[in-house]
Amino acid sequence: MTAPPKIRSYLQAPEEPPDAEVITRVLSGDVEAFGILIRRYEPGLHRFATRMLGSADGAADAVAEGLVRAYRHLRGCREPARFRTWVYRIVVNRCKSHLARRPSGDLSLDDLPPLPDPADNAMALERAEQLTLVTRALAALSTEKREAFVLKHVEGLSYEEMAVVTGARVPTLKMRVHRAREALLASLKEYQ
Amino acid sequence: MSRMDPRIHHVLDGELPREALPPGLRPALDRLQALAALLRSAPAGGGRSVAARVLAEIRRPLPGHLTRLVHWVTERHAVTVSLRPVWSLVVAAVVVVAVAVIPSRGSEGPTLSAEEGVAQFVGRFPGARSVEVVGSFTDWRPGVVPLQDDDHDGVWQTEVVLPAGEHQYMFVVDGERWVPDPLADRYVDDGFGGQNAVIIVQPGNR
Repeated sequence: MTAPPKIRSYLQAPEEPPDAEVITRVLSGDVEAFGILIRRYEPGLHRFATRMLGSADGAADAVAEGLVRAYRHLRGCREPARFRTWVYRIVVNRCKSHLARRPSGDLSLDDLPPLPDPADNAMALERAEQLTLVTRALAALSTEKREAFVLKHVEGLSYEEMAVVTGARVPTLKMRVHRAREALLASLKEYQ
Repeated sequence: MSRMDPRIHHVLDGELPREALPPGLRPALDRLQALAALLRSAPAGGGRSVAARVLAEIRRPLPGHLTRLVHWVTERHAVTVSLRPVWSLVVAAVVVVAVAVIPSRGSEGPTLSAEEGVAQFVGRFPGARSVEVVGSFTDWRPGVVPLQDDDHDGVWQTEVVLPAGEHQYMFVVDGERWVPDPLADRYVDDGFGGQNAVIIVQPGNR
């Protein structure tokens, strides 16, 4: 029986190896193994970038650039077991670069959740409306607070991991998250 | 913006159990948790994976150092240094002082001090509108050392006098794309997940 193509086997592998093992394979010349890391981290990275940039296209560019950069500099990942924080750090920086290119440096609202279809049920309508409000409130935060809030509460990173990703100190990050929570809560109260 | 009861932060930071929170504070906690849950849902356009794009990019082999060197050696280069007027004045003053103070070595031009050398920066960026070099010697500030491509062949370059020793640098293409020099002497971690190129300037090197 002919073995399936390499890429197919990676996409369908029921039990996937840990990051460090995948990285060893990639560094040994197995380029396709990088697909495992892409599949493993792309959803979170894309969600983070979308919440930071407010644009699906911008997020896709930032994540793609970040992943290519991660591949090209994979030997610089000193702790392969902590690839997650390393690759988040790269994408965080890509997002900052994208934001810096914008005239206002602020969040785009190109991809606000679509307007609810009247045919949707009441729960879906309410959820879509809430997501629009929350996205707008998030957009009103400064980049640093938005980044801290999203890493903490959307991506579920610990403060220690956030410190590795952002280069900021834990007390600073805590302060940013706390201020972001308060600003979001205050902002959403206005709509109540 | 009103300050929130710190106990809500403690619960959200995992430092207090939810049960420790008085009932009156729980609605704010619930609201924040619901808000975060909404943001955790897949964003609009989340179905568009970049995996194929990334894999296609990384499968494309980079030309080797030798190939890049051969291209650089076999292509035409124009060596021109163009400076902003203010820098031209500074350079002119330095040249005047150098000619007056430092003894000449015939046709070799002004002699560099024992602590200086000439650094040449060359990069191939076809289609670029501008290229500059930014590094430890400019305090990482752009707008100081532009590269030139007068014959529009995509090869940008310049020469500058720098203190002898190691300097980290990056090329900045079109004012926004930071690119490490593919022909650098070596590379170091930039502390942000990328790498800076390193140039080693020999004292008196021209």
